[in-house]
Amino acid sequence: MPARLGDVTKPHAARWFDFLVETCPMRSCKQQLAGVGGPVICWFLAAACVSAASPRLSHILPRGMRRGEDHVLAFHGSRIGDAQEIFFYEPGLETVEIKAESDAVVRATVRVADDCRLGEHIAQVRTASGISDFRTVWVGILPVVDEAEPNNQFDAPQLVSLNVTVRGVIDNEDVDYFAVDAKAGERLSVEVEGMRLGTTLFDPYVAILNDKRFELAASDDSPLVQQDAVAGVIAPDDGRYFVEVRESAYGGNGNCRYRLHVGTFPRPTGVYPAGGPAGAQMTVRFVGDPKGDIEQSVTLPGEPTLDFGLIANDPGGAAPSSNAFRVVAFDNVLETEPNNSAADAAATELPRALNGILHAAGDVDHFQFGAKKGQVFDIECYARRLGSPVDAVIHVLDASGNTLIGNDDSRGPDSYLRFTVPADGNYVVRVSDHLQRGGPDFVYRVEIEPAAAALTLGIPRVERYGQYRQTVSVPRGNRFATLVSASRANFGGDLVLEETALPDGIHITADPMPANLNVMPVLFEAAADAPLGGKLVDFTARHADASQNIRGGFLNQADLVLGPPNQSVYRRCEVDRLAMAVVEHIPFKLEIVEPKVPLVRDGSLELKIIVQRDEGFTAPISVQFPFRPPGVGTVPSVTIPEGQNEVVYPLNANGNAQIGPWKVYAIGSADVKGSAWASTQLASLTVAEPMVTVAMPRSACEQGQTVQILGTLNHVRSFQGQAKAQLLGLPAKVTAPDVEFDSQTEQIVFEVAMDPSSPAGTHRNILCRVTVIQDGEPIVSRAGTAELQIDKPLPAPQDQPAPVAQTPPAEEPDAKPLSRLEKLRLEARQRKARQGAKETGGGG
Amino acid sequence: MRGRGDTMVRVAPEDTPSMAHRAGLPAKFVPATRNIVDGILRRRNVTDQDAPDTRSVMAYAADNTARTPVVLALLIAITASHAAKATDRTPTAVDVYPPQIQLTTSRDHQSIVVQAVFADGITRDVTDEAAVAVADVGIARFDNGVIHPVADGATTVAAEFAGLTATVPVEVAQSAVDRPVSFQLDVMPVFMKAGCNSGSCHGAARGKDGFRLSLFGFDPQGDYFRLTREVPDRRINLALPAECLLLGKATGSVPHTGGTRFDVDSPYFQTLLRWLQAGAPRDAGVIPAVDEVKIYPPGAVLDGPGASQRVIVRARYSDGTTRDVTALAFFMTNNDDAAPITQQGVVTAKNRGEAFVMARFETHTVGTHFIVLPSNLEFQWTEVPELNYIDTHIHAKLRKLRIRPSQVCTDEEFLRRATLDITGTLPTEEEYRAFMASDDAEKRKRLVDELLQRKEFVEMWVMKWAELLQIRTTPQMSYKSMLRYYNWLQERIAGNVPINQLVKELLASVGGTFANAATNYYQNETDTLKIAENVAQVFLGMRIQCAQCHNHPFDRWTMDDYYSFAAFFSQIGRKQGEDPREQIVFNAGSGEVKHPVDGRVMPPKFLGGDSPDTAGKDRRAVLAEWIGSTDNPYFARNLANIVWAHFFGRGIIDEVDDVRVTNPAVNPELLDALAEKFVEYQYDFKKLVRDICTSRTYQLSTVTNESNANDLSNFSHAILRRLRAEILLDAISQVTDAQNKFRGLPLGARAVQIADGNTSTYFLTTFGRAKRETVCSCEVSMEPNLSQALHLLNGDTVHSKIQQANQGNVVDQLLKQGKSTREVVEALYIRCLCRTPTDEEHAAVEKVLAEYDDPKLGLEDTFWALLNSREFLFNH
Repeated sequence: MPARLGDVTKPHAARWFDFLVETCPMRSCKQQLAGVGGPVICWFLAAACVSAASPRLSHILPRGMRRGEDHVLAFHGSRIGDAQEIFFYEPGLETVEIKAESDAVVRATVRVADDCRLGEHIAQVRTASGISDFRTVWVGILPVVDEAEPNNQFDAPQLVSLNVTVRGVIDNEDVDYFAVDAKAGERLSVEVEGMRLGTTLFDPYVAILNDKRFELAASDDSPLVQQDAVAGVIAPDDGRYFVEVRESAYGGNGNCRYRLHVGTFPRPTGVYPAGGPAGAQMTVRFVGDPKGDIEQSVTLPGEPTLDFGLIANDPGGAAPSSNAFRVVAFDNVLETEPNNSAADAAATELPRALNGILHAAGDVDHFQFGAKKGQVFDIECYARRLGSPVDAVIHVLDASGNTLIGNDDSRGPDSYLRFTVPADGNYVVRVSDHLQRGGPDFVYRVEIEPAAAALTLGIPRVERYGQYRQTVSVPRGNRFATLVSASRANFGGDLVLEETALPDGIHITADPMPANLNVMPVLFEAAADAPLGGKLVDFTARHADASQNIRGGFLNQADLVLGPPNQSVYRRCEVDRLAMAVVEHIPFKLEIVEPKVPLVRDGSLELKIIVQRDEGFTAPISVQFPFRPPGVGTVPSVTIPEGQNEVVYPLNANGNAQIGPWKVYAIGSADVKGSAWASTQLASLTVAEPMVTVAMPRSACEQGQTVQILGTLNHVRSFQGQAKAQLLGLPAKVTAPDVEFDSQTEQIVFEVAMDPSSPAGTHRNILCRVTVIQDGEPIVSRAGTAELQIDKPLPAPQDQPAPVAQTPPAEEPDAKPLSRLEKLRLEARQRKARQGAKETGGGG
Repeated sequence: MRGRGDTMVRVAPEDTPSMAHRAGLPAKFVPATRNIVDGILRRRNVTDQDAPDTRSVMAYAADNTARTPVVLALLIAITASHAAKATDRTPTAVDVYPPQIQLTTSRDHQSIVVQAVFADGITRDVTDEAAVAVADVGIARFDNGVIHPVADGATTVAAEFAGLTATVPVEVAQSAVDRPVSFQLDVMPVFMKAGCNSGSCHGAARGKDGFRLSLFGFDPQGDYFRLTREVPDRRINLALPAECLLLGKATGSVPHTGGTRFDVDSPYFQTLLRWLQAGAPRDAGVIPAVDEVKIYPPGAVLDGPGASQRVIVRARYSDGTTRDVTALAFFMTNNDDAAPITQQGVVTAKNRGEAFVMARFETHTVGTHFIVLPSNLEFQWTEVPELNYIDTHIHAKLRKLRIRPSQVCTDEEFLRRATLDITGTLPTEEEYRAFMASDDAEKRKRLVDELLQRKEFVEMWVMKWAELLQIRTTPQMSYKSMLRYYNWLQERIAGNVPINQLVKELLASVGGTFANAATNYYQNETDTLKIAENVAQVFLGMRIQCAQCHNHPFDRWTMDDYYSFAAFFSQIGRKQGEDPREQIVFNAGSGEVKHPVDGRVMPPKFLGGDSPDTAGKDRRAVLAEWIGSTDNPYFARNLANIVWAHFFGRGIIDEVDDVRVTNPAVNPELLDALAEKFVEYQYDFKKLVRDICTSRTYQLSTVTNESNANDLSNFSHAILRRLRAEILLDAISQVTDAQNKFRGLPLGARAVQIADGNTSTYFLTTFGRAKRETVCSCEVSMEPNLSQALHLLNGDTVHSKIQQANQGNVVDQLLKQGKSTREVVEALYIRCLCRTPTDEEHAAVEKVLAEYDDPKLGLEDTFWALLNSREFLFNH
């Protein structure tokens, strides 16, 4: 486009933009580019016009869907143009069609089942070349309408019907008004999802106003939904009511999306009891709704389940989001008032979940249990985590009412403590609110069970706040390794991975994880003909001793919203399966050349890594060495330069490096239109004792002289042939030739030569490096350290005649080199002898 | 006669109300036709030459500065025609003070004062003229105005003047005993009286010339130590007491920076000498405390310059004894121009006015009310209707002062005044026309009731409370927290929560700063002592800051009071909330305040009240309960005063947050009545506002008569009040139909709705908006100044708002409605000034408009001139 490029009236960047629109080969991309206005976006898209590795997902739009309908979701991110599949972590969501619009946007038609669980769902894009971050999307029950600006004036609101979900955006200092018509006595409930959508730091405020602009109900935060808001009133009159939505501090930006549910549905703020035994059929009572309590029969899942919730239903509809509900392995105990003193506490067996409501301000509840000396119980209170207003404080009292232990905030606002029973007897658990508050929805639940072993696996973060490389993408015919971390609670011991169904064509290799480590390398390999595909894998490990019956699975937390102060996490989500996929072939393969010699303590080793490049692939490859045995260190990464096929990865071991055989790997990435990653095999690396150590005394001499530094060898292991010792770190203008020795040598001597201008002073950082060649490879270690003092010569005394040159007394023909101390002693002896001779002469 | 012409100066007192209304305002103020026309021309000049008319600007500033209320200046204009002088007349009563005389020990004595009261209320000091006699001279003797003991027993002393006699009982006890001299009871008061321990002398924090006394004697033990032990043998000399440095310096016999404080013959010298001669003893045993100090006579009305009245001061001690401390008391007056007082306690009338004459002894300050009238005054009170109890009390005081209140203002003035005062907005044209057209006799009451229901009323008071509660962002308070706090306040006020309930909720608040935003009160200020000071100032109207370091010099508060009050706030706990931005405030249940002088743990004690039982309770809740109850004598009075001040521009006690003994209410009966009503109304201040706004006093015209022309403090006429910054900006935005935009608030938010004290604009800052950095009521500046005038003339606010409005500017809109030029001018007058233009104004404006080619331009200039008129800027 020379004509365009020559157009001087356009800014430089804009001209480039035009150019790219014209030259981009992808039609859809061209359209996209023509539609956007900025050169920055233009560059971004230009790079994204072909499929690429390391896909990233930033957000999904719209932020919610309605149950029982098909919706087109737009997955926004980068390098996702080759999307093949959407991973949903729960049933009820099915991808009907998937279509890449550009490398940044993929549209997928998603069918939401009639019985799909309401609330947050997690989705992730699998592309032909990788797996993206996971993000959330919400499922609701009400028909969806879009916000229509302008609706910023109370006088000019957007009229919506009751029982809808409004999708809107709050821009800076934006206020959205919606008007609904309600009948007197009708329940008017609103719930807004903002922060929970996990897009950005958006703290919504919602209010229901009457036509005189007075707030009938307003909510900014709520224990039930944290920074989000719920509010409800019974309409006092027939008429028009107004719902105001804004950011709580009049902030906002284009990312501050919300879903506002407006309708006649129940919106209880609590459920009692807030948990039950797995598989139970029970009746619960929803509390805190403007219309009063709602009783509902429920059947609980057959297994203890985290993140379970109950949806309240009544003739007015269904609550837009669930009330959190614990499903555990043991039975409930419900409080029986009065239990305001330890004396009134009802006795119970353990393990149990104690359920109660702090009915009124100042209410304190007590429960009693019997226990034997030495038993250890975890006493954990669930209140705020279940959406209750209670800021729980728990205490354990002995039979005579003395407080033994207490806790306020060990689990955020909730409480937790471990109680070791001091003696056989009865004990009392006291539950209260930190601020002595109470109310009909002040529900709490204290679960008491013996401290139990628990195991959780994970993949350590690579990015401080992101999810990058916390999935497994194995290129066809290649390898991918990752660190797997394990968190052991209340037990110790080796761990082994359990067998599990992996995507077709993937093979896994891992050694047991030793008891003293909490990370291990795990290698995944894909056959060259493995089909492209992936799945969410139930990735589990168990105690190496199967009889211990301790096992645990994968858990990953993603920080969705961070904010002040200090990058605090406002919203996170969790997945319990590991996303794994076979991805397209990548044009390089890495391999560690296994060393024949060990890495010794205080030693170093140059690990050679070679790359097999596809024909024509010459890009530089950045290599990392993620797993380091204890005491082994190295640099963060090295690079195989463009066109070259090997690199040396320098490893070193400290004096306490853990001795033994280890499996290590390296992983490298190259820019294949996005970073494509492949690892080496799991290679053996042995950490061993050094062959020999050297003890060297302190030495001193004057500038311009030569001194011998003596090294006493300690042979830890014998070796064949000659070894070489070098002094490193000598001061300037000081030289010492290397010394060779064999496994029989006991002492070595470095002839250290000073120059008259060698720097005076004490030089401490002098190392003796010993290199032993074994099987043709060097074993290098830092065998000892030396200290060298360089003195300036004393000035010659001026008032005395120049010393008569004396022939020094002939040294004894002892070939033994003297240490500095020995020299000093010798000099002293000689001086004394001379003095004695003089005195003898004078007296004669 | 619709006298708004530039020749209209002042309405004669006999004018009918309608004439007074048309006359409206003093000529200095009224933006008469000349003003408007000048304004238009001035604007043209500005536009043409880009330079302000400096002369007009200066005139504006000078006019208004001159009219600013002068503190405590009370000049009463009364016509004099009283025929006879008081001295020539017969009094109706004669009183002897003190009402009882109690003499204990041989040196005790009591001076007396005899006051004659005449039929017209004038009083005269006749102590020297009256015949004073002791009934039993074997018990006591009268000598030169002073009663001395003779022997134990009881008798009476009688004073006879002009045929009238008054008698007071005298009791003498321990007449043979000489009370030993006491350091604390006798010596310390001498330091106070002689000024030795004042802040500029040895009471300074580092003392003076190497010698320090505790400021106003807050630390007697320390003072004793410094005199007798700090530099041994230097300050006192027990061998030669009369020669010691202490006495030498005080009498000036050795060089003394502070000069001679008293002479050798004075009782002060004798007291110190006796103490030294006794061996400078430290007080032993329990030292009686001063329970009460009284000043006599309780009041005086002096007839003309030169009339004098002596006052006496008596202290009552905790052991039941009394002492005449007239010689030891420190005398002050709050109006030197009317009633100056000597340190001997003699008031001599000077100019007309009223004064509060005070005596300070120990930590007690007491006062007595003096009125000085011109000689030969004739005054006839004409009955004025009283619409409610407010008028009753106001008129009672005015009668005393011989002042006649002004006439009632016009409907136009009332509509504008009440709408601005109650809602902070201007009446719209529709409201104006409806109100003026109504012939309902009760329409003013109805207007007040209607205005009180508007949300703007709530918002106005939210703004005022937000100032008192210092609602603003700080490093400890995020914007969200601040906004939650503001909304909490708004909800309370909108919900008509009784103010005492609101204060209880605020002071006893616990919980998260988001969840229970009232707790932000304790985030805004986290220093225990500062919190205590703020609470005292905002809710009790008292500035106790002085007492942090020494006993309050102008009030009764001691350091003990201060730290005992602060102890209510020593147990506030704070912890991180679930939201990272949130803090939770709770009762930690432990933590004490210690007295800085001796490290005593101070038990919580109400200011001027009891030490409550706080064991096991949240101390703040105990305090909040007391503050919001009738046990506390200050709260209801203070809030009533704050409400009053909003509607009159000055408090009954002024400043509203400077309640102290030495700053008395100008009409205590009115303040008490308002406080009583406030309590009766269950602290619903809306009802109090209704009482105030429907009183005749509130409806008075700004036009004065001869008797009240100089009254600025007794509410005998309305005082011109410049609109405060937020209301002025909102008014400009309202009449120009142009929306405001403030940081952190949606477009169109009114300035009174600004939640954050730190959010301001150039306009608001220039016009003195409070930054809410302190609780002081003085943060809101109502003073006019040059930059305000310049900003209105040249700044972008007025000009751009006239030009840019929502949908075409106002003039455009009015013209589009097909209005004639004359109708547009009238609409603009109603919008801005809440009145129609006079014929003269019409004529003058039309004359000027004729010079414009484009009438729209001329009308915009007229609009500009109206917005720059003083009539627009002031509430009148």
